[in-house]
Amino acid sequence: MKKNNVVEIAILSVLGALVVLTLVIPQLLRERSESRLLALSVLLRDTDSTGLAVARQGMEQAADELGAELRFLTLTVRNDGREQAELLRREAEGGADALIALPADPQSLQEALDKLPRPLVTLEVPVQGGTGTVSPDNEAVGRLLARALLEDWDGGLILLLDSSGFCPEAALRLKGAFDALAQAEGEVPVLVLDYGYWDSLRGARWVMAFEPGATLQAAEWKQAEGETFALYGVGSSTAVTAQLEKGNIAAIAAWSDYAAGYLAVQQAVRAVGERPENLEPLPFSIVRGEDIYAPENQKLLFPVMSSSGR
Amino acid sequence: MEGGSTVTFFRRLTAQWGERYRKMSIQMVLSLSFTAVAAAGILLMGVSLIWRFSSASEQMVAENSQRMLAQANMNLDSYLRRMMRIADTVYYRVIKNTDLAEGSYTDALGLLYEENRDDLVSLAVFDSQGTAVSAVPLTTLKAEARPEENEWFQAAWNNMENLHFSSPHVQNIFDDPDSPYRWVVSLSHHVELTRDGVTEGGVLLVDMGFSGIEQVCRDVTPARGGYLYLIDGDGELIYHPRQQLIYAGLLEENNRVAASYRDGSHVEKFQGQSRQVTVKTVGYTGWKLVGVAPADSWWASSSQLFLFGLSLLCFATFLMAFLNFLISARISDPIRRLERSVKELESGLDVEIEEGGCYEVQRLGHAIRSMVSTMRHLMDDIIQQEGQKRRSELEVLQAQINPHFLYNTLDSVIWMTEAGQQAEAIQMVTSLARFFRISLSKGKNIIPLSDELEHARHYMNIQQIRFKNRFTTRIEAREGTEELYTLKLIVQPILENAIYHGMAGAEDDGAISVSAYREGDDLLIDVADNGIGMPPEVAESLLDPDRPQVRTGGSGTGVRNVHQRIRLTFGAGYGLTIFSEPDEGTLVRIRLPALTREEAARCQQGEVL
Repeated sequence: MKKNNVVEIAILSVLGALVVLTLVIPQLLRERSESRLLALSVLLRDTDSTGLAVARQGMEQAADELGAELRFLTLTVRNDGREQAELLRREAEGGADALIALPADPQSLQEALDKLPRPLVTLEVPVQGGTGTVSPDNEAVGRLLARALLEDWDGGLILLLDSSGFCPEAALRLKGAFDALAQAEGEVPVLVLDYGYWDSLRGARWVMAFEPGATLQAAEWKQAEGETFALYGVGSSTAVTAQLEKGNIAAIAAWSDYAAGYLAVQQAVRAVGERPENLEPLPFSIVRGEDIYAPENQKLLFPVMSSSGR
Repeated sequence: MEGGSTVTFFRRLTAQWGERYRKMSIQMVLSLSFTAVAAAGILLMGVSLIWRFSSASEQMVAENSQRMLAQANMNLDSYLRRMMRIADTVYYRVIKNTDLAEGSYTDALGLLYEENRDDLVSLAVFDSQGTAVSAVPLTTLKAEARPEENEWFQAAWNNMENLHFSSPHVQNIFDDPDSPYRWVVSLSHHVELTRDGVTEGGVLLVDMGFSGIEQVCRDVTPARGGYLYLIDGDGELIYHPRQQLIYAGLLEENNRVAASYRDGSHVEKFQGQSRQVTVKTVGYTGWKLVGVAPADSWWASSSQLFLFGLSLLCFATFLMAFLNFLISARISDPIRRLERSVKELESGLDVEIEEGGCYEVQRLGHAIRSMVSTMRHLMDDIIQQEGQKRRSELEVLQAQINPHFLYNTLDSVIWMTEAGQQAEAIQMVTSLARFFRISLSKGKNIIPLSDELEHARHYMNIQQIRFKNRFTTRIEAREGTEELYTLKLIVQPILENAIYHGMAGAEDDGAISVSAYREGDDLLIDVADNGIGMPPEVAESLLDPDRPQVRTGGSGTGVRNVHQRIRLTFGAGYGLTIFSEPDEGTLVRIRLPALTREEAARCQQGEVL
């Protein structure tokens, strides 16, 4: 074959291949954009999802934008780590593309995950082998909350409610608070109390709680019992906010549950596509009762509830 | 330095491409040139089309956005007017007609609330101190509530004439056990309350539910990827489809900048993305509806459009290249075949020249074919002429060794020897030897004129002895002919003719003369005799090539042979001319080019003068 003919055939082949390629690529792009909905299972540690109402809104917004379908699964017994691990196993076997969990027992989840590896994004508490955790810096939460207390503190024993038995993340917050109080100038008396022994709070002046449930219960107990201690807690639910407004809580550490839910789904979808990113700790604020209606705090504490039910 | 090396590199590259271009075949030059020009044209056209399409799309998107915003504006305006009508109804139908000392607004407000409960969160009237005069459906204020400190209260109080619309905020003054924190937009208006016949200032509050505004904005569907949001005059978000993401800090919107835009379409770059923003101010409130269309939705370089354009471009280039290759092959293939035929012709093969391809190439093939044919004929002629020349020369040489001439000469030598004429015999033998030596002339055709005349002289010596001096001979070379050259053996045949025909009837008075002289660039040799002569027409016919060969009593070689040899060697302008009259004699004039030594040498090598 002559050299000219070879060159001509090569040029025609390249042009022909380009034509085919430019016709096929849009088709491939369309097929990719028309990919199926991802199945994401959300494992809660409560018997209902009311405590995660705002986070759920964020999750649903992200699912809507990123093409995912959410299944919310609650436990029959609150904080039952074994049941949660069983649910994880069942969902993984059932074809869930990724899982999102608010761990009741990180150890049980880790064991289940070892047997059936799946992308797992956790809220609040990390699980070994998971794809990431959406959470504020828990130690920093405890530390800053303690500093807020110290700004008001004029002496007296500070009680730290330890609810880490059913809320693993509380342990880190408590540690942060404890360290901050220990490092404070002068001698600050601190006592760690197991959660649930409400009578121990009688006559107390300073109390700290480290998860929303404990914070709310302490505030409600305080109101019911007519106690006057200054309560510093965690959470941004409506109930917690109402107690903050009423003065039953002096200050709270709050972050956007909506953002937490959104980021958890976003990370899960990225993990399915094998491109997860390192998650930064969620930003949080210390909100005092008198600042509750500051414009930025309104946006943080009172989510805009969409009527569309997105 | 670096710039210099770059320039050198490009120069070298240009030179290499230039060299490659020069060596490129006509087919490749045609194909690549046409394809490159076609591709450039198509590319230009494609870019132009995409640019025009983009402009048209941008315009269309702007118009669509404006239509969409006009629709949303109309809906929102209608919604807000309804709220304003409610406020007016409360004021003019309820407050104006009710004396608080005698009655309450609550029932009337309750009815209005029930009629519009989908849009309203609460209706309330406050006195100048912020005390709730009447409120539905929530009747109790929070203990710590200070309505008079709220922005909506102060705006209404400070601007009594107008209705005031607040930014979205959480309504926190009512004690709502079910939903304590609701986002509302507050419409407030300064009102005059009547209490026991005395009027006093107050503020009417109409809290609009956020969902009503959301619904109005959501009803309008923007183009793919686009969305619509609502801001107040300061740029504070009232509605945004991803409002909570913005509030949560996961998303940002260019709302503060959008507040500064005038109504119409604008192109802005936000977070690295180009987008078209269309703004429409909502009458009365000063709110702004903002429609956002990302550039991807109209810009021609969006991946799909770009790939489609690229595909068309590649396909058109493919077609053009295919056609160009076909056309160039149709042009160049016959040329290449012609070239191959010519090469084969050069190597001596007998080939048929093809007349194919386009008209011009056909004409070229035809011309080459004609040329080859002419060349072949010329070659045949040359071969024929060369053959004739060789034959003529051979005939001349044969004439020199004519056995009859040789026999007679040798017989004369014997006779003279026997008669004791030793000196004459020696002279005759000597002349015969010189005669033959010059005849051979080492095989050369062109010899000095002096040798040719010497040759004639020896021949005449022999013949004079044989013919017992019945004629005299004079041979001369005039001045200017000394260094000239001539074709050999051209004088002797004419002398032979003069002896055997011209001197046939001579007694002792015969005279034959040979005279060589120069005339311009020619050398003339006249051979004249005073013999019997001949009629001029006979003299003319002697040189006629069609005249039959007549053997004579001489050497047998005629003047025609000499004439042909001269013309074959030097051309038709040269040769013999015969002048003759009966009883007066004959003059044969030989015309040759006056050849110098160098010219003779070139002529000897076969060059044409």
